[in-house]
Amino acid sequence: MDEVLRSAAGLVVIAVALGLIRIFRGSRDADRMMAVQLIGTGGIAVMLLLAVSGAGPAAIDVALTLALLAAFASVAFVKSAQPPRPAESRE
Amino acid sequence: MSEAILHGGLILLFLAVAATSVFTRDTFSAITAFIVYGLLLGLAWVALGSIDVALTEAALGGGITGALLLRAASRLRHADHAAETRRTGPASHGLAALACAGLTAALIVLVLSLPHPAPSLAPLAMEALPATHVGNPVTGVLLAFRAWDTFLETVVLVLALVAIWGLTSDAMWGGRPGPVQIPEPDGNLAFLARLLPPFGVLIAIYLFWVGADEPGGKFQAGTLLAAMWLLTLQAGLIDAPVLSRLRLRLAIVLGPLVFAGIGLLGLVVSSGLFAYPPGFVKACILLIEAASTVSIGVTLCLLVLGPPERPATP
Repeated sequence: MDEVLRSAAGLVVIAVALGLIRIFRGSRDADRMMAVQLIGTGGIAVMLLLAVSGAGPAAIDVALTLALLAAFASVAFVKSAQPPRPAESRE
Repeated sequence: MSEAILHGGLILLFLAVAATSVFTRDTFSAITAFIVYGLLLGLAWVALGSIDVALTEAALGGGITGALLLRAASRLRHADHAAETRRTGPASHGLAALACAGLTAALIVLVLSLPHPAPSLAPLAMEALPATHVGNPVTGVLLAFRAWDTFLETVVLVLALVAIWGLTSDAMWGGRPGPVQIPEPDGNLAFLARLLPPFGVLIAIYLFWVGADEPGGKFQAGTLLAAMWLLTLQAGLIDAPVLSRLRLRLAIVLGPLVFAGIGLLGLVVSSGLFAYPPGFVKACILLIEAASTVSIGVTLCLLVLGPPERPATP
């Protein structure tokens, strides 16, 4: 069973790789940020598969951390793309 | 067979992403490729069975490093344009390629000439681990056997922050860092910034606590705390802190202070510097980890925010 799960993890890696090629050939900045999201999601899947096929339950914690922070990079991206507003515009 | 697919796929992906990061001219594309590279690194460490390193890489690479680099890139836009108008000649390109190839070749030679099997203190550390009452060998080594190194690491973070604050202009000293964020109370970002932090803080506490016996610890937990704080700041739900506040500065130095205090206590009640009193080893380690988690979280967040740019009261 472990063999099957590890093969599945390998296939997810390959699928993510193919997706990345397409995105990085594309592309504007937002497309590239989607590549980060894609590898985040794929990475969570691979880690969960590895966790149940020998890497141990601690790998689930890694997947949990990635899942929490996945949206964080996108927020930083959107915020850095916006022009900074002057401090006076608050009123 | 399954190992071959997994490791082969990872290696190909690594090389492709690393090449993209290095060869792209545009700063922003290079940074996104580098964030992807960091996430991949986390995967590779899991595949190799080093969960502690994977956890640190996932927290830092997936969260703080990306935010830090993206912020730097958006500040450097002007410099970017200046760099594009100044083309470098083929001679300097060739020289750079030669230097890089030489360095890579030297590294390859070094790696190939490492002794087999590698000299290791691991058996010795595992043998002495029960004396610390800590179950995770990484935590045991970091906080008991090599406490001095770990102490200096926590000090380095504070020094980095001091260096960044050193860039403050006189007029802004004691002000708030970063631009004013205008909150959109019904926006997606405000929703996310209300939904995610409770989970983030809970999981940070879990990672700190589990660090004594399983992979986890102060750095991973502190990074999560910093990411959650940054999220609420970016959504405009709270304003950036006034950097001259005493409470904030105490939070920054709390970790190194507690660490140094317990280390010095060893001189009096135990056998030497950073020797924990027998029977209280695990308690001391947990106390240091708890104080360091707070300090690392606050310091990392302030590192990303940068030097103060506006006065404390608008």
